[in-house]
Amino acid sequence: MSEPVIEVSNIVTRLSGSLIHDGVSFNVARGEVTALIGGSGTGKSVLLKEIIGLIRPQSGSIKLFGEDVWAANDVKLMGLRKRFGVLFQDGALFSSLTVEQNVAAPLHEHTSLSPRECIELARLKIALVGLPATARSKMPSELSGGMRKRAALARALALDPELLFLDEPTSGLDPISARAFDHLIRILSNSLGLTVFLVTHDLDTLLSMVNRIVVLARGKVLGQGTVEDLRKIDDPWLQDYFSARFVEEHA
Amino acid sequence: MAEPSLLLKQEDGRTVIIASGNWTHDHVVLPKTPEIPADALLVLDGTRIEGLGTTGAYRLMNTLHDAGVSPERLELRGIPSSVLPIWNLVAQNYTQAHGVIEKKSTGLLYRFGVGAVSTLRHMAGVANFVGRLSIEMFRLLEKPSSFRYREFVAQMEAIFIYAIPIAMAMIFLLGLVFAYLMGVQAQKFGANIYVVDGVSAAVLRELSPVIVAILVAGRTGAAITAQLGTMKVNEEIDALSILGLSPYAVLVLPRILALFFALPLLVFLGDLAGLLGGMVVSKTQLGLEYSQYWDRLDSVLKMKTFWVGISKAPIFAIFIGLIACRMGMTVARDARSVGEHTTSTVVQSIVAVIVLNAIFAIVFVNLDI
Repeated sequence: MSEPVIEVSNIVTRLSGSLIHDGVSFNVARGEVTALIGGSGTGKSVLLKEIIGLIRPQSGSIKLFGEDVWAANDVKLMGLRKRFGVLFQDGALFSSLTVEQNVAAPLHEHTSLSPRECIELARLKIALVGLPATARSKMPSELSGGMRKRAALARALALDPELLFLDEPTSGLDPISARAFDHLIRILSNSLGLTVFLVTHDLDTLLSMVNRIVVLARGKVLGQGTVEDLRKIDDPWLQDYFSARFVEEHA
Repeated sequence: MAEPSLLLKQEDGRTVIIASGNWTHDHVVLPKTPEIPADALLVLDGTRIEGLGTTGAYRLMNTLHDAGVSPERLELRGIPSSVLPIWNLVAQNYTQAHGVIEKKSTGLLYRFGVGAVSTLRHMAGVANFVGRLSIEMFRLLEKPSSFRYREFVAQMEAIFIYAIPIAMAMIFLLGLVFAYLMGVQAQKFGANIYVVDGVSAAVLRELSPVIVAILVAGRTGAAITAQLGTMKVNEEIDALSILGLSPYAVLVLPRILALFFALPLLVFLGDLAGLLGGMVVSKTQLGLEYSQYWDRLDSVLKMKTFWVGISKAPIFAIFIGLIACRMGMTVARDARSVGEHTTSTVVQSIVAVIVLNAIFAIVFVNLDI
């Protein structure tokens, strides 16, 4: 097994006085789809932001591709950022650009491709995420929630990243769109050989596409493994979480 | 890592294209496209491909396409299994991406039409806005207890109290400069005392109302549009409607009424500051004692001059308020729109103030006021 793509070790985070993470450690191997779950307020999104280099943890280290994110200088960090893509919760598309321009933006900034080729590649990515050609010239404000997520995914994939971060990819989508989006991510991650790390609440996502789950509770990693592994852990929140699903399945 | 390259080889009557090297967006120097015979049987040999991203796959397809080879005509051979799915994925979507990038051409007539329609829409929007606001006004008169006093007071604080220092400082300086420049001329004729007549008329009738209105248009107008616009983007305005509250009654009316009362008050303070500015220059430059200045002021300054100036302020205020609130309420749900509408508010309300002031001037002259 090659070295892990993400190495999180002993992260301690304190935000406005309260302790969010108290020694969080886990690894994510290449090619894996890993989900981070936990109740609200357990610092999932904060941890994600720490991994992608937006919020600095008080102590501990985070390595992406073997490179320490918080010890890297600007040039190295920039190099790292080109190797991963992030899908933000509400898409975070630039509202003053069309969908096509949004997807082409990373290509314009980070490659020496001609403007024409950037646009063509953007169109390719838009087609890959299953958006119709009519969506290309629309403004983000004219898109539905599901289409915005797809457009944002196309932008996250623009530079052919090896690693993809997803922040609640299915939140705000109806169950059918959510499943379609899961399916899309699975197909793309298989074909493109992506390592995927996602924060989610959606049990269906966990059951359908995730290889490994990391559970965050009370500032620590409560457990990690497959759904079956986690069902054995005796923790009230985790039991509730899975039993809700269990009742649904057997009702 | 090796740069991408393409090689052509004949093999049992078939043409084999050998792609090698690293086909990713970091390696974008395109290899020379070899001449490919038109009706050749083609094989793409990928055994020597070191890396393939979607960008590289697309460029490879493009290169072949430009040489007259469509992806379907290719027989694939030896493409590493790790990158084969990428090749297939890109091949499926190739036609979607490739093609003419059409530029929207817009003729003069088209743009003229778009402009005309948007102007009509704008006018209809203004009429609609004023209409709704009038209905709210009547509702308020019917039931005055429903007035949002808290919001009104908060707005008065923001629009009036916090604007006092800047408004007074500006008009003080204008009075100062005006008196100084008039003084330079008046001294030539030994008519120092008439500077008082000039300063008082200019400040009270024109300078204070117009400059304070422009200040408020920039300061408060922009703030109102940006605030209402951001509320619109956050769906707060929708939330108000759902709670059974009219956003016009809760947000718009208190702001317009606050402006309506704040602007005349600011103009009055501006009047005082301008006269003080004139007084300082009269003493230092023209040698007029303060008592002389006030005596002269008392005898030449008519109440009428004061009322002419101050009566313009509420009208300016209503226009600034209407423009700012309407632009705020019509923001589209994106960040750029908030900026555009804020700019538009400032421009529109300053233009409105200056045009209105010109109309006032003509009306007052014709009425012999």
